[in-house]
Amino acid sequence: MGGPGLILLALVLALFPAGLSGSKELKTIVIDPGHGGMDLGAKGKFGTLEKNITLAVSFKLKALLEQNLPYRVVLTRDKDIDVSLENRSALANNNDAVLFISVHINGSQRKKAQGSETFFMNLNASDEETRKLAYLENTSAELEKQIEDKNKDEVKMILWDMAQSAYIKQSSQLAEEIQKELNIFLGTENRGIKQAPFKVLKGVACPAILVEVAFISNPEEEQKLIKEDFQKKVAEAIYQGLKKYTKLFS
Amino acid sequence: MDKRRVILISVLGFLLVVLAFLFFFKNSGRERIKEAEEIPQPAVSTQAPIEKSMRKVTLFFLREEDSKLIPEERDIVSNPSTAREAEEVIVELIKGSQMGLVSSLPAETKLIQLFITKEGVAYVDFSKDLVDKHPSGSTAEISTVYSIVNSLAYNFKPIKKVFILIEGEERETLGGHISLDHPFLPDYSLIFQE
Repeated sequence: MGGPGLILLALVLALFPAGLSGSKELKTIVIDPGHGGMDLGAKGKFGTLEKNITLAVSFKLKALLEQNLPYRVVLTRDKDIDVSLENRSALANNNDAVLFISVHINGSQRKKAQGSETFFMNLNASDEETRKLAYLENTSAELEKQIEDKNKDEVKMILWDMAQSAYIKQSSQLAEEIQKELNIFLGTENRGIKQAPFKVLKGVACPAILVEVAFISNPEEEQKLIKEDFQKKVAEAIYQGLKKYTKLFS
Repeated sequence: MDKRRVILISVLGFLLVVLAFLFFFKNSGRERIKEAEEIPQPAVSTQAPIEKSMRKVTLFFLREEDSKLIPEERDIVSNPSTAREAEEVIVELIKGSQMGLVSSLPAETKLIQLFITKEGVAYVDFSKDLVDKHPSGSTAEISTVYSIVNSLAYNFKPIKKVFILIEGEERETLGGHISLDHPFLPDYSLIFQE
């Protein structure tokens, strides 16, 4: 599927937020275990690596989802390898994903920083960019016929680059549901839901969030993160939040 | 014979103009940075005042108690060039807090250069230490980005947005999270309010 096809898909999904209803095929959820390979992610005082915890949690989440919900689950990586941020979002789009969950472990310069938070995309757009975006959103249905051929590719590029912009509202709802469950299951400090311009979320053409489970830079939380039991709770929390989110649209 | 020469010369001249035109347009859109570099900045040596006057600036650091950016005042040597004063702010930010606050930039980081475009975008070029010595993590990246962006935009009216460069080039992210492919507006909601 080429660039224009993906753009069309983005537009179609924007119009039908719960996915292409009526389709008998299983819809896909993409889980993205943060970092991997040469990219270790954040490191703990006791040597714990973010990339290993994100993969462990993602495996558990995948199993839970497949056992309990009628979705096909695809991981952006299932071993310790490098995957570019672009390829992670591309994988979601190429699989017609209806949800994208990126799993990360947090880090800070502050040793006492602690807690769980869920992010969704923020475009950090200037007034001019916001206007351009509003124009695209308002005219997306008529976009194809209205724009002169010579400008078409450029406009599509802008639209594609900001694929996530059509899903900000749903992404914030998904973030909210998952954050609620993290608070219930983990007993960690609630850092709430936040917006930031994440590279990995930017191009994803479906509701997408990034979970920061806890701080590996905080020795106490690092000790929790390496425990199998805690990782299971993380997966359970994300699964419950995701389930509640999907009910909003059924 | 003469007429032919005139035609030949005018054709060649026309081609030259077309080529120059094409060349100009090919390069003009390519790198905003190039354009920005050409904005003359008064050299420090010629503009240095005999009597050094100081100005107060506010830098933003972190503290252990919460995730907010904490202001810390500092005196820097005033300079008619906003870019030179902005450089001074970044240098002080890298040196770290004098009040025991937590720094959001690795101490090894070096400022390579800073320039401001006429559109009000400050391009700040850092050594690769900002990436290599960075602790990683979304929160760490947000802290680094906004202590830089807020410290510049808060003190200098001409700076509307900040573009972070590493060794002269655009970088995807510092450590896999926050996209650095665009200039950042300041976010003053991250600053601690009493």
